[in-house]
Amino acid sequence: MAPPLAQWSNPLAMDSDLNDPHSMGTTIIGVTYEGGVVLGADSRTSTGMYVANRASDKITQLTDNVYVCRSGSAADSQIVSDYVRYFLHQHTIQLGQPATVKVAANLLRLFSYQNKNMLQTGLIVGGWDKYEGGQIYSIPLGGTILRQPFTIGGSGSSYLYGFFDQEWKEGMSKDEAEKLVVKAVSLAIARDGASGGVVRTVIINGDGVRRNFYSGDSLPLWHEELEPRNSLLDILSAGPANTPEPMSI
Amino acid sequence: MAKALADVPPKGGFSFDLCRRNDMLVKKGIQLPGFRKTGTTIVGLIFEDGVILGADTRATEGPIVADKNCEKIHYMAPNIYCCGAGTAADTEAVTDMVSSQLQLHRYATGRESRVVTTLTLLKSHLFSYQGYVSAALVLGGVDVTGPHLHTVYPHGSTDTLPFATMGSGSLAAMAVFESKYKEGLSREEGIQLVSEAICSGIFNDLGSGSNVDVCVITKGKTDYLRNHQLPNPRTYVSSRGYSFAKGHTEVLSTKIIPLKAKPEVAVVDAMEE
Amino acid sequence: MSIFEYNGSALVAMVGKNCFAIASDRRLGVQLQTIATDFRRIYKIHDKLYIGLSGLATDAQTLYQRLVFRHKLYQLREERDMKPETFASLVSALLYEKRFGPYFCQPVIAGLGDDNKPFICTMDSIGAKELAKDFVVAGTASESLYGACESMYKPDMEPEELFETISQALLASVDRDCLSGWGGHVLLVTPTEVQEKALKGRMD
Repeated sequence: MAPPLAQWSNPLAMDSDLNDPHSMGTTIIGVTYEGGVVLGADSRTSTGMYVANRASDKITQLTDNVYVCRSGSAADSQIVSDYVRYFLHQHTIQLGQPATVKVAANLLRLFSYQNKNMLQTGLIVGGWDKYEGGQIYSIPLGGTILRQPFTIGGSGSSYLYGFFDQEWKEGMSKDEAEKLVVKAVSLAIARDGASGGVVRTVIINGDGVRRNFYSGDSLPLWHEELEPRNSLLDILSAGPANTPEPMSI
Repeated sequence: MAKALADVPPKGGFSFDLCRRNDMLVKKGIQLPGFRKTGTTIVGLIFEDGVILGADTRATEGPIVADKNCEKIHYMAPNIYCCGAGTAADTEAVTDMVSSQLQLHRYATGRESRVVTTLTLLKSHLFSYQGYVSAALVLGGVDVTGPHLHTVYPHGSTDTLPFATMGSGSLAAMAVFESKYKEGLSREEGIQLVSEAICSGIFNDLGSGSNVDVCVITKGKTDYLRNHQLPNPRTYVSSRGYSFAKGHTEVLSTKIIPLKAKPEVAVVDAMEE
Repeated sequence: MSIFEYNGSALVAMVGKNCFAIASDRRLGVQLQTIATDFRRIYKIHDKLYIGLSGLATDAQTLYQRLVFRHKLYQLREERDMKPETFASLVSALLYEKRFGPYFCQPVIAGLGDDNKPFICTMDSIGAKELAKDFVVAGTASESLYGACESMYKPDMEPEELFETISQALLASVDRDCLSGWGGHVLLVTPTEVQEKALKGRMD
């Protein structure tokens, strides 16, 4: 849907949607594989129609072995994960050993449930512990908790349900799982206007944690997508020899 | 007596006792006033050895320019500064409150303040007011862990970025950053790019105007370049100005109250025994 | 109608050489009905510090009472008068306290500080300070006052010239505002004396 142009043509309308709360129209994914989990997310944060941050990190660390993908209101999801990180650190000290994924996920669930009237955030928790191995928990809007072999979230997820039903398989390897996540996020970026930028992944297993980054121009091109182009400035500064014929594009 | 007790200086926090009356006035069809906004361009970037913040200097009240040369880069700590956009009173109040908390924290710990501490204090205040305290901030500083740049939104969400813009002129300024920012800028290049971004806001956004303020923070040194550029000098005022003959204005009555001169305090030698 | 236009007001303060002037109109109205033509909006805090309160008169008077109260507490505790800068911060704090249910007042503060350095400042109704080196304005006539002051003001005026300038700026501006006028009050404060003058203006 095209935005009403009038809103932008009046610069004094400072209350335009630039002042809307920050929301992460997002694609977030959590997938288990043989031995661990892969979390994935895009990197777009928008206020209304404006991309406020095109390289944000929506996969936040809670403890050494537990990460969370955030969607919905940026402020709400940040505050919830900040609190949970704080309580988990305390819990780790009291327990003398790392918190389990289940504890982390239940703590997030507790916050989301007790403040459900004030919070506008959906979360996907992923991690590894020595008791139950790699686990993915989904905590959608009202504060439910669901343990699932894979889960998707955010505005971009509606484009991915069928894809995952077909492509996800029990007992994938790490590389297969990560490939699936990157492909899925790139598909959602292609179709969902509120998702975009780069793809970030976090792989958690018994050996530790690995973060990966896939820049926007390294992602596959899907149906009717165009090759990335240089900016106009590059074309102009390349000099007359390389300047393309006007209107030839 | 009860009234007098109620008027004793409060311990802090907001007072909501006029809200009901004001709501009643609104229901009677009376418009509540707009507040002074800094329809603003504020920016920040990370360069080779620190952070540079920039701001324009226009404050507006509706379409009226309320202040042509106001300060939007607020002091947080000697090594941390913060640009403010949004409702002027809110940006002023929230940065003042947090900078005083930071000062107390420095007294207690004897260590330099960190940017993340500042960020957490700001976001927790703003989050608890759910966006009603409308301060949009660009926070920058250099601490023991290196240079940092963050943006803080009125609802309490924060971002960490190598370059950032905020305010009504943020789109104009971001266009400049997106086309020209690169990693490892020198100090001069950084100041130049920040000024260019602010000027883009000044000239293309009606809510921003007047001069360019810049603040360069490097390890152990902060340079506040107030009115670094003056791209909009006054050109139209006559050098002589208007002059009025003495006694030109019709006066009905005059009362002259002489003021007592301050008593000189004699310097007395300290008492000795 | 905006609540600021309920009573109508015009306020202005200007800086001269080691002196300042603060002026207001004399009308108190209830919307278009004039109630009084000798109303005072400029209040004295101490000999060298004045505050003008534009906006809703009931809030102006309440706020003034609270300010006097707080200034007297300060005098008792500190055995001295407040500096204008300190006082401005006090006003700002009192206004910001009511951020979500404000007094409908826009203050103009003018005073002579240490070394008789003039200080002027205005705020919006929730205490956003605006310090100025030249002049500040407030009230329903503020738009015209901005224009008049912008062209008539000169730096470093002597008291006599400052009086003429501020008076002419005020009278010219209130003539273009139906909610303020009926003459004016001007206070001209120098290190040695305070001159309080009532101006003759249009009575329509």
